[in-house]
Amino acid sequence: MTAFNWQSELARDGSRVFVAGLPVAMHCHHYNINLQKTLEDTLGDEGIQLLFHSAEEANRIGFTSFFNEYRQLKTNKSKLEMAAVIYQNSGFGIIHLQGVNRQGGTILSPSSHHVTGWLAKHGLRDTPGCHFTRGWIAGVLEAVFDKPAGHYTIEETHCKMMRDKECVFQVTGV
Amino acid sequence: MAIDGSKIVHAVMEGSRIRESKGIIPLFGVYLSIASVQYYNTLSFEFENKLRGERAAEAEALLVKAAQECGYATFQGIRNSWEWGEIVKPMIETKEDQIEGFTAVSVAFGWGDLVVKELIPHEKLVIRVTDSYEARGHLEHYGMTESGKCYMLRGVAGAFMDLLYGDDYPDGCFDYSAQEPFCRAKGDPYCEFVARKSSD
Ligand SMILES: [Zn+2]
Ligand SMILES: [Zn+2]
Repeated sequence: MTAFNWQSELARDGSRVFVAGLPVAMHCHHYNINLQKTLEDTLGDEGIQLLFHSAEEANRIGFTSFFNEYRQLKTNKSKLEMAAVIYQNSGFGIIHLQGVNRQGGTILSPSSHHVTGWLAKHGLRDTPGCHFTRGWIAGVLEAVFDKPAGHYTIEETHCKMMRDKECVFQVTGV
Repeated sequence: MAIDGSKIVHAVMEGSRIRESKGIIPLFGVYLSIASVQYYNTLSFEFENKLRGERAAEAEALLVKAAQECGYATFQGIRNSWEWGEIVKPMIETKEDQIEGFTAVSVAFGWGDLVVKELIPHEKLVIRVTDSYEARGHLEHYGMTESGKCYMLRGVAGAFMDLLYGDDYPDGCFDYSAQEPFCRAKGDPYCEFVARKSSD
């Protein structure tokens, strides 16, 4: 597969930081989990939807422009592989995107920043909590398969924040 | 000795390239992630939009609070980390130098070009930022506004004072609080954060 040169793609211009030309910020689990908890506590389902939507939108736009740059990624398979590499290198964890195609499928994640961060700060919960990752997946799939925002529904059926062995995401295209 | 921010930037850039097999980046005592600034901006500003009207002040307070708690825990972790001991501590002579170390880490994280303009021990901290991603994002996606929009940096400025002059960790969070009298999102040439002892 095409290699992603993290050494050259994580770059600075003055005080700004970029990955493959897209402006990024580094934040730690305290902030990411605090934001999630604030949104969930204040807005309930609407807050969960906003977490999903923000990640979806950022990823759909980000990966669409990334795939336009990385023309050497010709197949959907190679694009999905690259997305998983970027997920890992961004510190979000491990995600297996092999089980998904244009119509949908199943995605597994054996480790993640949000799970580790949530458990460190708040311990186990009784509902699935990987809203960021659900949105991240939706945005990537929309970019890979050239679909509009909102095309994919992502349901997390198992979550490590609930003591499950891994996080499992069911993807359905509308 | 003055704090050499470039050494800290270098350490963060190198450290954030170290990936363990689980795809987690442990650095400076915290788990780091690298996300598009658009994600954070959409999250904050749409949250604010949803609470528009009667609950507008609540949205602002919650976003600042989330950032201040984070800044307080994060920089406590950072100043006790191995990396801090190796890279930053040798450059610190006075307690006040810590703030320079904190701002250099913030710059390294891509939060903006933070500069300490004034520090009166126990009393007041002024930090200036001419390119905050929050202000830039607000201008790009929502346009000019009437009030400061850099809630993350505002919370972080308060946390810096909490860590230096507040009660001992973990009891000092919110001993100080910051305002943002100037913000690029409302047409000012820079954002400025002023942290003072909380009034309550
Ligand atoms: Zn999960
Ligand atoms: Zn501002």
